[in-house]
Amino acid sequence: MTGGVTAKPDPFIHPITRLSICGLLAAGADWVEFAALRDAAGISDSVLSKQSVMLEDAGYVEVRKGAVGRRPRTWLRLTAQGRQALEGHLAWLAQLEEAVSASTGSLTPGPGGGVR
Amino acid sequence: MRDVARDPAALELLRVQRNRLADRLRPPWWYLPGAAIAWAVGGTGEFALRYLPRVDYWAIGVAQLAVWCLLQWGLARATGLKVGPRPLRVLRDGLFYYRPGRPALIAMFVVSLAVGETEFLLIRHGRVAAAIVVAALAVVTQVVLQRTWLQEIRQALRDGGAAA
Repeated sequence: MTGGVTAKPDPFIHPITRLSICGLLAAGADWVEFAALRDAAGISDSVLSKQSVMLEDAGYVEVRKGAVGRRPRTWLRLTAQGRQALEGHLAWLAQLEEAVSASTGSLTPGPGGGVR
Repeated sequence: MRDVARDPAALELLRVQRNRLADRLRPPWWYLPGAAIAWAVGGTGEFALRYLPRVDYWAIGVAQLAVWCLLQWGLARATGLKVGPRPLRVLRDGLFYYRPGRPALIAMFVVSLAVGETEFLLIRHGRVAAAIVVAALAVVTQVVLQRTWLQEIRQALRDGGAAA
């Protein structure tokens, strides 16, 4: 099934929450605010906080803390290392998706009801 | 934690999340009128040079830049996304690093230069009315380009940008 898959997965961003965070940060904005990222990813504050610390420790994400008045604001951005890892992982996922759809396509029932 | 390999819709989920993020990048009501003010301030430079010799030409440029920075700061605060140009990033990432909305930004820069030169020539030849018309048209063009710039970034957010 994975015969056509040549790209390599990145085990660190394999869990879907980390993939979501990196994928959203890579999309086009330079820095994304914590609340915007949380709402777009549809995850809780604590999950995003925990995962962003792990991604920061791995060097995939840069975190900058600031404040607007008394309100603290945290901004996140994908590093070059994070971007490279994400590109490789997304390439692997896309190849995997293609391989899966190709293999399910070849298993469609034939005219006599049998599997081709 | 969910595993991507067990979730065949992982890429689809990422697309949905990107769309959600892109939807946040809607400029507030004051953004485009503010942009018009910034470009109008810039457009007065050539007139000031000719008719208001006491006003420093560079002070007008600085004022325009200040309004533009204020707009970008407000946009980041309102949307939670920092999308402004980062000219110094070229030093770190090279000239051709990925940057959504770059064509519109380059167009804004080119229009600024062209309008400045045109206004200068028209004022020098005494065609002040024509120079005012050019300045007004330039403000409209720049606002349209600024809107296009945001639309390009929004589209990049939907498509996944460099990591698509």
